[in-house]
Amino acid sequence: MSETVLHLDNIQKRFGDIDVLKGICLSANKGDVISILGSSGSGKSTLLRCINFLETPDVGTVEFAGEEVVCEGNATGHSKRNKKIINNMRTQLGMVFQGFNLWSHMTVLENVMEGPIHVLKKPKEDVKQAALAYLEKVGLASKAGQYPGQLSGGQKQRVAIARALAMEPKVLLFDEPTSALDPELVSEVLQVMQSLATEGRTMLVVTHEMNFARTVSNRVVFLHDGLIEEDASPDDFFENPKSLRVKDFISHKK
Amino acid sequence: MSLHVIWDNAEWLLEGFWVTVQLTASAVAIGLIVALILALLTLSTHRFYRWPAEAITFFFRGTPLLVQLFLVYHGSGQFRHELDAIGLWSYFREAYFCAVFVLALNTAAYSSEIFSGAIKAVDKHQIEAGRVAGMTDFILYRRIILPQALRIAWTGYSNEIIFIMQATSLVSIITVLDLTGVAGRIISKTFAIYEVYIAVALLYLVITYTMVFIFSRLEKRLNRHKA
Repeated sequence: MSETVLHLDNIQKRFGDIDVLKGICLSANKGDVISILGSSGSGKSTLLRCINFLETPDVGTVEFAGEEVVCEGNATGHSKRNKKIINNMRTQLGMVFQGFNLWSHMTVLENVMEGPIHVLKKPKEDVKQAALAYLEKVGLASKAGQYPGQLSGGQKQRVAIARALAMEPKVLLFDEPTSALDPELVSEVLQVMQSLATEGRTMLVVTHEMNFARTVSNRVVFLHDGLIEEDASPDDFFENPKSLRVKDFISHKK
Repeated sequence: MSLHVIWDNAEWLLEGFWVTVQLTASAVAIGLIVALILALLTLSTHRFYRWPAEAITFFFRGTPLLVQLFLVYHGSGQFRHELDAIGLWSYFREAYFCAVFVLALNTAAYSSEIFSGAIKAVDKHQIEAGRVAGMTDFILYRRIILPQALRIAWTGYSNEIIFIMQATSLVSIITVLDLTGVAGRIISKTFAIYEVYIAVALLYLVITYTMVFIFSRLEKRLNRHKA
């Protein structure tokens, strides 16, 4: 049943003198919910940002949506052909940021409709119906006419999720989606994410929420020092970790 | 006080008033387009694009507007043959054209600095959100960057428009009969210096505060999201 939707091969990324990613290989199957854990500075966010080329990997291959981009050296991603492929990949890769990154000059509804109308060029009326349905799904249909500045952090993040969903992406990337939230607002966002997981959506989630990793995801990937230290089911990861670093990490989080 | 001078010459003053309004409108409209192009060129990473934009800005910000008017209006005569050859002499012969030309480039030079600063100040995270949605650079500029930059630039740019409107009074020196130019003609006939200049000052006030009113209305509209 497992159909690979995303494949990363030997992703390497260096910032100045620091090797952030030293050769990451990772495949995601359809319906996978992969929690990416690791201490800060281990390269989790950089890895996620390499998948949609917000950072261009120095070396490595990203295969997604029937396309592949091979990176070798600095010029990758700037060639016209690659730019087109990358843009095409991005339309099918939803991303939710730690800081929400909603467009502040647009209403909630306009934020959700923007991509489908101006990137996917879908008809406005259909997009509006779909956008309202996605807002309904994240429990914010009543806020459609408001601006991001009028919402709480948790509400903003749920709008950001609706905005990502509106593109009908094949894979959703979450970059520490609850790290910027007040503790009492975390659960409303996690609930939405859990419901997405239940729907069978493919998700890669960089997170510090151990409970989410344990109960919602079907795979846990632990990054250390730019490499994958452990890739296991949540049960194995939390009950039977192979690596000492993972043991150490878990004991600190308990 | 001989207020009758104003009434007697009201029609003439009004003509000057409209010339000032038209000069401002043309200079601002052309200047805005040029400023946007200059701003985008200044922000380019290629030296080839940046250099000409920076040269224009360097000249028009670095020299007095009056000198620029003299240079173009009186100076273009020296290049009459060359201008004739490319069919531009009939334009540069006209004081009004020279006035619009200089005012537009002058305001473009200042505005392009305002715009490029505003574009640089747009929240990088919101730009990233556009990129991950698959927006091309063109859509990103049109839908996210420029609308937000406009809001950031608004106060500075509205000041620039008011400044350039008032600066149009200089064109009277190169024979354009704008509000100030007409005032000079009326005074040379009537010697009613105070009356005429007070009337002229009031008319400039009317233009300025009409613009201020429009700007604050537009600003409220632009800043709905901050309510």
